[in-house]
Amino acid sequence: MHEKSIIRGVFLIAIETAFFILFVAFMLTHQTGKTVAFLLFFIFLGIFFERWEKARLALLGLFQEMKILAAVVFIFMLLTIPFVFQTSPYLIHICVMAGLYAILALGLNFQLGSTNVVNFATAASYGIGAYTSALLAVHYHLSFWPGILIGGGVASLFGLLLGIPCMKTKDYYLSLVTIAFGLIVYILLINFSWTGGPNGIPNIPPPSIAGRSFRDPLNVFGFTLPFQSNYFYLIFLLVGGALFVAHRLHHSRVGLTWNAIREDEIAARCQGIDVTWYKILAFCIDAFFGGVTGTVYAHYIGFISPENFAFIVSVVVVTMVILGGMDNVFGVVIGAILLTVLPEKFRAFEDLRLLIYGVIVVTMLMFRPQGLFPQKLRIYQK
Amino acid sequence: MSRLIETEQLTIHFGGLAAVNEVDFHMDEGEVVGLIGPNGSGKTTFFNLLTGIYRPTGGSIRYRGENLVGLPAFKIAKKGIARTFQNNRLFLNLSVLDNILIGMHPHQDSDWFDAIFRRRYAEKELQQGVEKSLELLGQFSQDLAESCYRRAGDLPQADRRRVEICRALASSPKLLLLDEPSAGMSPEETEVLMEDIRKVREKLEGIGVIIIEHDMMVIKGVAERVVVLNYGRKIAEGSFEEISNNEEVLEAYLGREEKDVAA
Repeated sequence: MHEKSIIRGVFLIAIETAFFILFVAFMLTHQTGKTVAFLLFFIFLGIFFERWEKARLALLGLFQEMKILAAVVFIFMLLTIPFVFQTSPYLIHICVMAGLYAILALGLNFQLGSTNVVNFATAASYGIGAYTSALLAVHYHLSFWPGILIGGGVASLFGLLLGIPCMKTKDYYLSLVTIAFGLIVYILLINFSWTGGPNGIPNIPPPSIAGRSFRDPLNVFGFTLPFQSNYFYLIFLLVGGALFVAHRLHHSRVGLTWNAIREDEIAARCQGIDVTWYKILAFCIDAFFGGVTGTVYAHYIGFISPENFAFIVSVVVVTMVILGGMDNVFGVVIGAILLTVLPEKFRAFEDLRLLIYGVIVVTMLMFRPQGLFPQKLRIYQK
Repeated sequence: MSRLIETEQLTIHFGGLAAVNEVDFHMDEGEVVGLIGPNGSGKTTFFNLLTGIYRPTGGSIRYRGENLVGLPAFKIAKKGIARTFQNNRLFLNLSVLDNILIGMHPHQDSDWFDAIFRRRYAEKELQQGVEKSLELLGQFSQDLAESCYRRAGDLPQADRRRVEICRALASSPKLLLLDEPSAGMSPEETEVLMEDIRKVREKLEGIGVIIIEHDMMVIKGVAERVVVLNYGRKIAEGSFEEISNNEEVLEAYLGREEKDVAA
């Protein structure tokens, strides 16, 4: 029995390593042809596991059985990414952006996935967090670390402000209100002089720990990693935190209540659920995630302008949730990674980006509205 | 037995039409009252008024001495009024167990802070809810308890009804409103339903039940008193025997021809 466990363990590590190598190779290719080949291979793999249930269940069972080993190996591999990509800082940058969008998607999932509130104002909370911390940093020399909480908090307040009129509206009209809110924030950012107007805010100081700035290359274990690595590890921790919070909320009375509201609002009210309170809670938590992400973005890029928080950003995050999986915490992260990495690899199709997002949304909603990774059943221990 | 709920001249207008028109209704704890009437007579609307989904345009509702008019539906539910729906409003994409668990919402209190930071408390409450839910399900049907992870939408109609009743009972209500629970059921399933209702009255002492029905066998079998609505008005009240011989009731159900023929 013991040998069998070791063999299964080694097999698990081998599979994870294989996926990791594929991922790295995919990221490193430059030719469009090879990239397409990789993509087709992944799609084929996806369909393969979808169809061949036995293989899928066996693999999932293996991961479930050796959860801790799988997680440790996975985390270790993630931590090596800056080392693997140290000669291509741009790839690390893509990973950082993927992480940022993962947090945005996790935040939106509370509304779109859990509660079926179609919120198109993610860019607004993203922007409010970014501008709040950037202005405080540039004018009042506020450090990044309290800036994260303040950026998140202010965005959350605006989430509350948005939530209140939304409670008077339903479905499509609610979405329109959120779209309007996003546009209002965008236009105000362009027109207020104290926000820098259309030129935005330049020279946002990077974070620093113990005197070492995030703009400096990271020296560790004898390696000199490009400065993006600092942000990579920061984002790694933040995504971990966001996943933790999202997972806990989903598997709790709150997550269950959100789902009840999504399924049938009237029946939910008759079960004693204060629908208004729970929807506003989702608005505020979503906005908090957005604000935190915005703060990181501002101090990472060092420069923000209203263009970074235009409506398209909200559309992208909505697409990520729809593609990845409605109310599947793992799924939305995958969706975020896919829709950050793929557009970068397919730079040639940059002009068609908006069209492609539209096609993805329509296709998913027609054929697989639950997303690539549908919501999983809640299982309680006996 | 004390007064559980009473309405006085309860009225609701939709535009010019009074869907419920000056209805006086009362019942005490532990009673089972049947609410019957032709289609469109306002029975479900009456339920919607009691549960706070609609706000009356006239009259009053008093539940255990408290005024209910103006309270939002979720607050009324928390006070102990539970219901099932004519068209079965289960949370279809969630499991059977999750549906019942949500029924326990009014008696739980862990919030987002507990979910994130006080995990043990939140989980303990959830676990207790799961146990109680399974116990409740098991009292109705061992089969349902065993297939508690089935998607509610995949259940056959009769099972969905039972789960909905279970969900309503999960909050230990004092007043249970059943809206046409036997619709579409076979005679065997209807027998089981009547047995379920008897079980409910045994287990939850003092629970009051109002049951809307078209199946007179069910009314005859479980209701101690019957109230008849027609075009939103109460036209008769009494025991099953009394109202089944009431001329106005017969006319409402059968139409005018019968009366003309008799004359």
